[in-house]
Amino acid sequence: MRKKIRVWFATGICAAAAALICAPLLMIPSGSLMDSVEMRRILAPILGEGKGFAVWHLIPFYPTIGHFYRLLIESPAFYQLFWNTVGMTAAILAGQLVVGLPSAWAFAAFRFRGRDFLFGLYVVLMLLPFQVMLLPQYIVLQKLQLYNHPAAVILPAIFSTFPVFIMYRGFTQIEGEILEAARLDGAGEMQIFLQIGLPLGKMGIQAAIVLSFLEYWNLVEQPMAFLEEQAMWPLSLYLPQIAVSQAGFAFAVAVMVLIPALFVFALGQDALEEGIAYIGVKT
Amino acid sequence: MRWKSKRLLFLLPGFAGVMLFYLLPFFEVARRSFVKSGNNAFVGMDHYRAVVENGAFMLAVRNTFLYMAVGVPLLMGISLMLSLLLRGLLQRRRLVSAMLLPMAVPAAVMVLTLQILIDRQGVINGVVTKVSEQIAALPVFDAIDYLNTEWALAVVVCSFLWKNTGYMVILWLAGLSALPKEVEEAAQVDGANRWQNWHYIIRPGLSGSFFTIGMLSVLQIFKSYREVWMVAGSYPQEHIYFLQHLLQNWYLKLEFDRMAALTVILSLVLLCVCLLLQKRLEAG
Repeated sequence: MRKKIRVWFATGICAAAAALICAPLLMIPSGSLMDSVEMRRILAPILGEGKGFAVWHLIPFYPTIGHFYRLLIESPAFYQLFWNTVGMTAAILAGQLVVGLPSAWAFAAFRFRGRDFLFGLYVVLMLLPFQVMLLPQYIVLQKLQLYNHPAAVILPAIFSTFPVFIMYRGFTQIEGEILEAARLDGAGEMQIFLQIGLPLGKMGIQAAIVLSFLEYWNLVEQPMAFLEEQAMWPLSLYLPQIAVSQAGFAFAVAVMVLIPALFVFALGQDALEEGIAYIGVKT
Repeated sequence: MRWKSKRLLFLLPGFAGVMLFYLLPFFEVARRSFVKSGNNAFVGMDHYRAVVENGAFMLAVRNTFLYMAVGVPLLMGISLMLSLLLRGLLQRRRLVSAMLLPMAVPAAVMVLTLQILIDRQGVINGVVTKVSEQIAALPVFDAIDYLNTEWALAVVVCSFLWKNTGYMVILWLAGLSALPKEVEEAAQVDGANRWQNWHYIIRPGLSGSFFTIGMLSVLQIFKSYREVWMVAGSYPQEHIYFLQHLLQNWYLKLEFDRMAALTVILSLVLLCVCLLLQKRLEAG
């Protein structure tokens, strides 16, 4: 009996915490479906047009798809920004896999001189915040004449060491004996990588993809620093530019930004949790 | 010999990119922090002195430390408590996913809702006012201008907790699942109570996790600039003016000399944190 109460108690607290974390997100769909007049009225105090306080209606009185109509039918610029985001994220993920997978495999499967030092360097680089790399990357992008070109955001991200670390962790889960046996049987290094490494290290690869997607779908600082032309910006940088007076429209954009991210989150949940656990646990 | 060099081909393309985009430009910045831009004359520690004597730098250092001193223990405490409660619950997977959801929410989306909630005439102040009017025993509530007073730090800390709690819960749960079950079971058979269980078994068993998660939390503080900037802009209330604002603003003003010095200082500090952490993340 006492145990039962304890379980209910623990579930209750955790559920309350989870609800508190998720609650603000409920405002997004309701805002995107809210009529502009209603929105103006309930947000009037924030817009400087009234006394008292703003309120929020989780269920709009006059639901409308007007904002989505305006966004999806009447705003061609939206598609450009949307495809900018998609293109950037896709290019970065593809590049990270092409470059990062073999690197991760090299750290996991081979012993070579300087390996520990080099791996340590990769870990430090992945833990540094972007602002530390701001000036260094600006210098190299200027030298390569890539400033104000989408490659200025894509190229440094491709060589990010974070996915290498995550995929490395996935590869280290493979038993060393399997690789030894394959080598004894005369398999080439490339063959071992493609036929043993990739299928058995699947979890780490998925984790790296999910973590990278969520990171680069949400890109703000890099395009802000390196892309001057708004036409190249991703949606995540454009969204905050919409004024609060256009809140309904902004919420519709937010829904469009959120949908792909939630989709990947739902699909890749196991991989995501596994990937985060890789970061903290010692091998 | 040939197969050995072939192995290095796996690493080479990636390493070349890391050299080009991270390491070499970083060394270039380190070099520039000691020379005058333009004529490359050696100026010793002049740029560093200029950084340290800058009023904004001292303000940013103080603020960053305060943010860390409040944010890290709160994040660690809350996430540890939640993971201890979550351990062994049937609904655990679903609850953890819900706590992790903020990882999937782009900062720009969150900022939109935050503006409506924390404005001086926003929803939160409205709710608190209503409650204080209903209950006569409570003092009259004076609406708080969260972003333009010292409350700004509280807003930043809350958004930090919101974003990172799920992440840290997973790390604690991973640490907890590594503890041998038999020890706890044996202790229970011997009649250990919950506090003894925590004090003598779980806490010592988690000492490694305490360290790792603490260091990762510190690093997350530095990575949480995106949200702060989006909510409060380049020149926020003075309590939430952090080192990243300084770097960002010097970058926009093309003050690369001081920026080079500050980049070196900040990366040396963070390098120390990383090296401490590294002992535990080391490749086997």
